[in-house]
Amino acid sequence: MLLLPTTLWFLLLLVMPLVVIAVYSLGERAPAGGYQPALTLAQYANLLARLKAFTNTLTLAPLGTVICIVIAYPFAYYLAVKAGRGAKPFLLTLVIIPFWTSFLIRTYAWIYILGGQGIPRLLEMIGIEDYRLIYTPTAVLIGIVYGYLPLMVLPIYVSLEKLDKSLLEVSSDLGANPVRTFFQVTLPLSAPGLVTGSLLVFILLMGEYLIPALLGGGKVYFVGNALVDLFLQSRNWPFGSAVAITLVGIMLAAITLYLTLVGRDRGRQDVSVL
Amino acid sequence: MVEMINGAVDVEFQGVTKRFGDIRAVDNIDLEVSSGAFVSLLGPSGCGKTTSLRLIAGFEQPSAGDVRIGGASVVGVPPYKRPINMVFQNYSLFPHFTVADNIGFGLRQLKPRLSKSEITARVGEMLELVRLQGFEERRTWELSGGQQQRVALARALINRPTVLLLDEPLAALDRKLRQDMQIELQTLQRDVGITFVLVTHDQEEALSMSDTIYLMNEGRIIQMGGARDLYDEPINRYVADFVGKTNFFDGEVAEIKPNGAAIRLANGRVLYGRNPRGGVPLNRNAGGAIAVRPELIHIVKANGSACLTTDVQTTARVKNRIFLGEQTEYLVMAEGFGDILVLASKHAETVSGGFSPGDVVSIGWEDSSALALENTSKGDHSTAVPVPK
Amino acid sequence: MSRKNDDTAPISAKKFMDELWRYKQGSVSRRHFLSVTGLGMATAAMAGAMPMLAVSRSAYAGSIGDRVSMATWPNYFNPANFETFKKDFGAEVQVSVFGSNEEMLAKLQAGGTGWDVFVPTNYTISTYVELDLIQPLDLSRLPNFAEKYYTKRFIEPGTVDGKVYAVPKNWGTTGFVLNRKKVTSNPTTWKEFWDLSKTSATGRVMVHDYQLTTIGNALKYFGYSFNSVDPKELADAEKLLLDVKPHLFAINSDYQPSMRSGDAWMSVAWTGDGLQLNRDIPEIDYVLGKEGGELWSDFYAIPKGAPHLDAAYAFINFLIDPEINAKEVSVHGYPVPDTRTTELLPKEMTQNPIMYPAKELLDALEFGAAVTLTDPLRAEIMARFKAA
Ligand SMILES: Nc1ncnc2c1ncn2[C@@H]1O[C@H](COP(=O)(O)OP(=O)(O)OP(=O)(O)O)[C@@H](O)[C@H]1O
Ligand SMILES: [Mg+2]
Repeated sequence: MLLLPTTLWFLLLLVMPLVVIAVYSLGERAPAGGYQPALTLAQYANLLARLKAFTNTLTLAPLGTVICIVIAYPFAYYLAVKAGRGAKPFLLTLVIIPFWTSFLIRTYAWIYILGGQGIPRLLEMIGIEDYRLIYTPTAVLIGIVYGYLPLMVLPIYVSLEKLDKSLLEVSSDLGANPVRTFFQVTLPLSAPGLVTGSLLVFILLMGEYLIPALLGGGKVYFVGNALVDLFLQSRNWPFGSAVAITLVGIMLAAITLYLTLVGRDRGRQDVSVL
Repeated sequence: MVEMINGAVDVEFQGVTKRFGDIRAVDNIDLEVSSGAFVSLLGPSGCGKTTSLRLIAGFEQPSAGDVRIGGASVVGVPPYKRPINMVFQNYSLFPHFTVADNIGFGLRQLKPRLSKSEITARVGEMLELVRLQGFEERRTWELSGGQQQRVALARALINRPTVLLLDEPLAALDRKLRQDMQIELQTLQRDVGITFVLVTHDQEEALSMSDTIYLMNEGRIIQMGGARDLYDEPINRYVADFVGKTNFFDGEVAEIKPNGAAIRLANGRVLYGRNPRGGVPLNRNAGGAIAVRPELIHIVKANGSACLTTDVQTTARVKNRIFLGEQTEYLVMAEGFGDILVLASKHAETVSGGFSPGDVVSIGWEDSSALALENTSKGDHSTAVPVPK
Repeated sequence: MSRKNDDTAPISAKKFMDELWRYKQGSVSRRHFLSVTGLGMATAAMAGAMPMLAVSRSAYAGSIGDRVSMATWPNYFNPANFETFKKDFGAEVQVSVFGSNEEMLAKLQAGGTGWDVFVPTNYTISTYVELDLIQPLDLSRLPNFAEKYYTKRFIEPGTVDGKVYAVPKNWGTTGFVLNRKKVTSNPTTWKEFWDLSKTSATGRVMVHDYQLTTIGNALKYFGYSFNSVDPKELADAEKLLLDVKPHLFAINSDYQPSMRSGDAWMSVAWTGDGLQLNRDIPEIDYVLGKEGGELWSDFYAIPKGAPHLDAAYAFINFLIDPEINAKEVSVHGYPVPDTRTTELLPKEMTQNPIMYPAKELLDALEFGAAVTLTDPLRAEIMARFKAA
């Protein structure tokens, strides 16, 4: 009985908007912008005009996710397994502090750090001339890693924290050196956190527009930016909707693929992911 | 790595101390476990049993002293390089592996690598040994406590360690299962011929299973010996109290005898007791206690047909009676002695017909059944001398 | 349709994103952002608990309401005037800034903006009338407005079908700023601007994130009209833009920071930004392309469904008061088509060629045309240029 209202909410909040967008995507742009009803696939036929936005997003979002994993995992590991009782709360606070200020202000700060008066200026002092960072893919990547790192660290930290440390001793006791213990015990048992963090970061990155807008200077263009431009500048709602539907489709496909790959070897073990 | 020499000493502590900050978890311990023995570390919670075990396994390194395995020092050698395996207190089975993969874990770490078929075969042998055939593909959380315990055992045994360490392996099991597993463990140890070091706070478990018991307190070893030694010849009041039940009569040492002492109780009565083997002779005018095991005290009806001829006799009133099946336990109150615990055998009960609370009885014991003990409750390291056999 | 502007109400996700977007564009102050998003709630709660800390509402509150919300452009107002308005009328001014007329239009089309006053550019007003997004003004409520003081060509776009929908705010030009220390040649045309972008100034040039000026000035490269919607001419402009894109530093209407830091050497720019930059960094100059380009004027107008209509009239009337208006200009540096205000400006301003360019340069400029605002091809070319 309780399921019914829940299902209704789900339909209302998640499915309805998608249906509206799907209907829009089959329509036409009204003369002064907006939507006018029609039944055409013309918007989808035009998707190639945003190919670059899709390729940018589909390279930088996974890349950003992977870099986040590579940086977040050792940090979360240190935090959960190695850090002393004094250092742990301090380090955890460091992870959480950025949330106290708006994402926007923090990203704005990077404009100055990466701009000509920031890091390139420092590089000049050690003889590297004319190194440009701001408004490059590298700048966007730095912004992404900076902004999303906590979202990766926290779930991994939680799963490592929950990990029964005596299992590591068992592994060592049974003859596994630290490297083998990591790959046979620590990594598989922290996989739920890793999967959660990766999905979280990846999904959010697929829709990201703020970081490319601020640190990419309109030159590193994501699907999110295409959507903002289509809805807020060109007011081409149908095409924007087609782009959005395509993005959702790609995202679902990518997530399904990822979960299948991750879940393949996990056998019957029920790892709840989200 | 370490040669196993038959008849030799497998594990040796030489003056080992382990400090955690200000706490001395293990305090200057000497210990020798000979090959093939079943040794128990017994003691109350927090006395340093687990720490000692972890020092052997290599999870802790001594703050002072030397830990030797098979005659060679292993200080600084990590656990994965020691020919020793451990059964953890809560089993710590890998949740992401099946039963078979849990058991085969140790084999998969070996170099050169074993073939899949060899691993499967040896896992099969272990499953048979712990009687879990057919459970290969089960997940660990689908097992009962006893089954988990046996998986942990099989996992620790599969690499044929020189020494198997067991940290309270039976603590989580119910009484019946615990008793079954005690017998299984003993049989297993005889079958595989591996040295076992068992940690327990349960004195019955230690007494029933092991060849040698190290009784510990506050990081030290108080007494070491076989089950009989600890039970019949406790070197001080602490040991007598911890191992089995005992009646203590406190007083002052009134007289030193060649093999014992006389102790004067507060009511002026003087009781005699012999020195335990390996114990330290008492000092005159120091505090001391006479200890008498409850099963060594006779109990008869006062003024009845049967009468006592024991060295010590007194009348008492029955306060409580507990039926234990093969025995009956009485708590009696005797003027000038206080509460006294008496165990009557089935046979004695049949003869006397048993007693009820309120009954007036005569109790008594022979002087040779009583021990004159130091009054220390801690036990001093200097008294931790092996009992001569 | 009107948005609830209650500071204490919990914010919706959409509104939060809107605020974030506005904030991103520099349109609102950090304080406003915090208060609207509820991030400033802690402070508010504290003030509630300690009444002596709370700011007392002005005695005027109730007559025109306690707030007025305006949508305008970056670096285009004098915050001190807003303080004065609050003190005199009791209404707090909330500002959102935008990067393009398209964006402003998109917001109004989507509805629920909550704006009382907005600042459309000349060529967009007829479209707003067509789409029924703007209301005619009751001039009797704007006593400070008197037609006779205004330059005729800057008033005209505010009147559609004989009805006045908007009163002039400022006028200006669209040229380019350049850092003369970095760009040593002396470009005077849009052709040179674009050619330099591809050659010696590669990686150092910015263009607006705004179709009218970016496409318009690309059209100028070929000598076409700034307002062209001819597909063939637009195809040429798109080719030039795609050609230049890899050489650009950024596509961003917020070009002052990059010019100031020295990261960018040239940028398409508006009068006031040129003046502000030149005032602070003399080597940055403002140039009008000889081929022409945009001449524009901006207006104050009231959108349909403005939630605080009285406040809107009071605010517009306040801002076009010559004394107040002169204080506006002294900060943002855009000329005013009102002689009463101009008379109050200092000589350094009235004789400044950035504000008041030479006649022959002005004559070459064109007003933006209404058709560019809604032309789908221009919109799509701009989007393709950014997406390239
Ligand atoms: N890692 C540690 N850090 C600090 N103190 C410790 C640590 N490990 C053990 N101790 C302390 O050392 C003492 C001995 O602990 P140990 O675990 O060896 O006791 P135990 O005899 O196994 O007790 P139990 O029967 O309760 O398991 C205790 O006081 C304990 O608090
Ligand atoms: Mg323990």
